Amino acid sequence: MARVITVAVVDDDRMLLDGLQAWLGKVPELRLVATAATVTELLGAPPDGRLPYGSGGSGSGSVSRSGVGIGNGLNGLNGPVYVPADVVLLDLVLRDGSAPADNIRRLLRTGSRVLMISTVPDRSRIIEAIRAGADGYLTKDHDLPTLVAAVKDLAAGRSAHSVELAFACAHDNSPARPQLSPRERQILLDYASGLTLKSAARRAGITVHTAKDYLDRVKAKYQQAGRPTYTKLDLARRVREDSLDGG
Amino acid sequence: MAVLSLPVRHIRALRGTAKATAVGSGLQRAQSFMIVATLLYRASHLTVGVLAVAQHRPRLPLQYAGLAVALAVSALVHGTAWRRGWFERRSVWADLLVTGCVLPLVLCAWGGAREPATIGWAMLLGGSASAVASIALDRLHALAVIGLLVVTHFAGYQAVGASPAVIVGHLNSLVASAAMTWVFKWYLCRQGRLLDEANARALAAEAHKARYAERLEHHRALHDTVLATLTTLAAGGVDANAPEVRERCAREAAYLRRLIQRTADEVHHREIGAALEEAVGSVEGLQLRVTAQYHELPQVPPEAAAAMGDAVREALNNVRRHAGTGHAYLTATGDPDGHGGVVVTVVDRGPGFDPDRYEPGLGLRLSVHDRMAEVGGRASVDTAPGEGVRVELRWPG
Repeated sequence: MARVITVAVVDDDRMLLDGLQAWLGKVPELRLVATAATVTELLGAPPDGRLPYGSGGSGSGSVSRSGVGIGNGLNGLNGPVYVPADVVLLDLVLRDGSAPADNIRRLLRTGSRVLMISTVPDRSRIIEAIRAGADGYLTKDHDLPTLVAAVKDLAAGRSAHSVELAFACAHDNSPARPQLSPRERQILLDYASGLTLKSAARRAGITVHTAKDYLDRVKAKYQQAGRPTYTKLDLARRVREDSLDGG
Repeated sequence: MAVLSLPVRHIRALRGTAKATAVGSGLQRAQSFMIVATLLYRASHLTVGVLAVAQHRPRLPLQYAGLAVALAVSALVHGTAWRRGWFERRSVWADLLVTGCVLPLVLCAWGGAREPATIGWAMLLGGSASAVASIALDRLHALAVIGLLVVTHFAGYQAVGASPAVIVGHLNSLVASAAMTWVFKWYLCRQGRLLDEANARALAAEAHKARYAERLEHHRALHDTVLATLTTLAAGGVDANAPEVRERCAREAAYLRRLIQRTADEVHHREIGAALEEAVGSVEGLQLRVTAQYHELPQVPPEAAAAMGDAVREALNNVRRHAGTGHAYLTATGDPDGHGGVVVTVVDRGPGFDPDRYEPGLGLRLSVHDRMAEVGGRASVDTAPGEGVRVELRWPG
């Protein structure tokens, strides 16, 4: 089995955190290493390279309870030091009023990949999040396998696609939207309508691989459009993605 | 993948009703009235002209030519006004100068008119010309033009030696025509505007009332579903983890999610939103989860919305009966390249079927294709073995 993927969750709904913790506890490949109500709370202090992944976590159960309560993620035991998780699940709208784009950029800077989650698909915010560099988006009503698949995709350097993200991009009519080719648009629309990628590819007469390429390209276009400041980091991440894809 | 697009009857009648018959605003109606009124005024003057020329049978052709010119210019002024909804300034100026000033002077000079009676008909046209000028031109221009008419007509009557009583009477009627027409127009347009404002207020009130009714409806639905469930859970005593409780919660969460999407944009699309909601609601209790996404639903005629609702219900029922996944995806959006059209898809990720070997069941044929065709819409079914089924509804087809 591949190495365990570490996951952190930022959400201000305690019940959801508890639920996720119970859920992820059933998945051996994932480990919930930190939970927090805000990004600031999660990050605490600048990352400290000395600590290995998961240090201080004595199992996901105790971790997330202490995390929410104390407010310093799993590192409550070791002091306010945050070790970046592979994937952070980030609630789209946090009650502290922080801007989603800022939250995403802060998390990306730590080297984590960011999967947005929210209760209601608020399309303009989804677009904003993708432009800010988030790698995927899911509504909270998905089942566990869908969530796990998305986390695994992100951790492996692939991008995670979802119907609601495709719908948001397909029906984005903001002036800043990137130009999509007719093919990209068709695949996007078909995928957004609920078709599997396989069916969408068959309808367009292309391979699944190419169809996924189109979806990736759409997301890349959005990320490109909203990416001025952290090019270096992104470059590093791209290199990582490429090497992973190649392998 | 084969596309199963059954031939359907396209009934286009509804397209017409979508574009409401253009009843002009109050202001437009006031203006139309003024165009007709001044036309009648001019027509009465022209009639006098025709009778006068016919009666005197002048030897010189200039009188006939003058009458013809007056008729032509009148047709130009009122014709363009009728076509465009209001007077065109250039043709009004042409009328004023030609029939109001040049015609009387020409008749005086060369038309063989040496007594007031023979140029009376041409002078008369000045009255209807000043009437149009007073309402079609800017105030300063109108005053200047009426002054010009007065001077010209005074000179014309002087030249043929009319009595002061005739001259004063005529000049008086020139000015009075202009003044009265202006007052009529001012009053009618004001009333028209007031009427328009009142109508706009009434419409806004109607929309507000409709939104209020919709909100009440939502509150009632929330009361019967979400609130009841939450209250029960809060009271304890039921196992929140029981499958039926979780299923109910998921259903009601999905309802709230759709509700938020439907009311997110301010655009009023009550008909189609309500029809889709009803369709989803009808199957949701029957172990079918529906992921619905809406975007910029347009306003469609109630018949089209009802047909879409029926077709969606049947498509969802098909998913429930045949897909075996317990999950349907519904999207409804405004037609991206369309003009007020709507596209709805119902998709499942079930086993699909081979469209070449498939006889459309009664449900798909009657309730989807025929129902859409009835209102001028179109349905297509796209599927292949192992590929799920995609039903697309379009209105107009």
